[in-house]
Amino acid sequence: MAACGLFRSLSSSAATALPLLSRPAPLSALRLACKPSVRRTVASSSRLSAALKYTDKHEWVRVEDGGIGTVGISNFAQEALGDVVYCGLPEVGTQLAQHDEFGALESVKAASELYSPLTGEVVEVNTLLADSPGLVNKSCYKDGWLIKMTIANPAEVDALMDEPAYERYIRSIED
Amino acid sequence: MLNVRRSWSLLRRLGCRTEVQTSRTSSCSSGVFLSDAGLVLKSQSTDVFQNLALEDWIDANVDLQRRGVLLLWRNRPAVVIGRHQNPWSECDLPAMRRRGIPVARRRSGGGTVFHDLGNLNLTFFASKKDYDRRRNLKVVVEALRRVSPGLAVHATERFDILLNGHLKISGTASRLSRKSSYHHCTLLHSADRSALSAVLRPSCPGIHSNATPSVPSPVANLLDHAPTLQWEELLDGLVHQYNAEFGLSSASSLVDPTDESTFPGISRMEAELRSWDWTFGKTPKFSVQTGLELEDSSARCSAQLHMEVKSGRIQSCDLQVPAAWLPVRLSGELTDSLVGQRFCPQRAAAGVASLLRAQSGELQSRLHILCDAVISVMG
Repeated sequence: MAACGLFRSLSSSAATALPLLSRPAPLSALRLACKPSVRRTVASSSRLSAALKYTDKHEWVRVEDGGIGTVGISNFAQEALGDVVYCGLPEVGTQLAQHDEFGALESVKAASELYSPLTGEVVEVNTLLADSPGLVNKSCYKDGWLIKMTIANPAEVDALMDEPAYERYIRSIED
Repeated sequence: MLNVRRSWSLLRRLGCRTEVQTSRTSSCSSGVFLSDAGLVLKSQSTDVFQNLALEDWIDANVDLQRRGVLLLWRNRPAVVIGRHQNPWSECDLPAMRRRGIPVARRRSGGGTVFHDLGNLNLTFFASKKDYDRRRNLKVVVEALRRVSPGLAVHATERFDILLNGHLKISGTASRLSRKSSYHHCTLLHSADRSALSAVLRPSCPGIHSNATPSVPSPVANLLDHAPTLQWEELLDGLVHQYNAEFGLSSASSLVDPTDESTFPGISRMEAELRSWDWTFGKTPKFSVQTGLELEDSSARCSAQLHMEVKSGRIQSCDLQVPAAWLPVRLSGELTDSLVGQRFCPQRAAAGVASLLRAQSGELQSRLHILCDAVISVMG
């Protein structure tokens, strides 16, 4: 049993002192403003694509209009990382295959590799992070997004965990 | 005593992640490595790129879920910068070129260190679950206290090891990947401290960057404070303490990181680490703003240089040179020729050569002075 440290690694299976995963507040931010006169059921709404999907590496993907995926790391991940001091992100135009290393987040804990959740091309990189890497900790679902990429294979998105599945996954690794 | 094993046999067992752990009672000659959850390796190489590649290889290929690995290595003189650092601001590249000292960028975070044969590097490989820097440093500190009783050493909150409360003898950095982790640290036994201070200073003034900075610290060599502590004794003590801490009985094994048959793919990893694209091209965006003093036999003036450098290449260049010294047209041609070039003195010199050839007389001589001043900023 590893000695108790100040923090746990991202996929720790040991008992951890991490605080309970808080329900991500940005869920409310994801509810897109609909025109009052338009009523849509959740099941049929194309806006459902704005819900987050998660990888087992604790990254999230949000599919935006135009089939672009925004990628970031989850609250669980940012807490485990500690204060991010540098975001090493790829150049726009970089081609990524699913699971490719695309950069690293440096925190006091370590340089942690980032793995692409999908296959696609990087179309935008969050330039705010250059001067404010701490946004990844403070606003991991919103202002702390990392990259935006095209989605070459939508089936890859479907295969990712939805929020309830991700929460179950977190609980299983915390046990 | 160093217990040498044929690396191919032990690594064949550990190299493939899908291989099932064989039983404890294997009668194979390298059975000792199969039984325990640990392995101690010593690199035969003193080349920084080969050794960094060895770390990459172990991290990517050895199954660390049930066993850790300790790698001991040292390098001929080299400067090693952290993953997200700026080599131009961290070290004096021209001074290093003159002394044949290379710069290498490692994959872990942290700051810049000087390596030579008097500096020992330790890498503790473990699963992410077992990543524990404090425990690893406990191994080092306790080993030091055993081999040199009374030595006042302790690990700090920043994971440095200090001697006598204020002299740094070890710094730490680490990397977390898919399933594995490594934590490596330096240990100053008998490094050349004057070489260290000569190279660990900026190549040029006026660099503005958000790259991760180093935290400079006064350093000391163990040998200066424990004069009887021999290198081999230090290594033996560390191996002993690693085994004691993790409940193992691993003897150490020499490995050759140039052996492609034992470490398939390692030469490609080494080539990547040596490449300009990795070492310099991965530098976070930065700007250089500095004054240039220009002088020839008839006049002198001050010029202002402002360059933006991204991925190691000059993205933009602004040069304010008094028109009385050099026609604005020529300063403009110089900056145009630099945009898109690597931020590198050799490339820049090659890039301006044709511009210089097209001039003559005083114009050529002044342009030459200006070019030299601009190029000297690039390290």
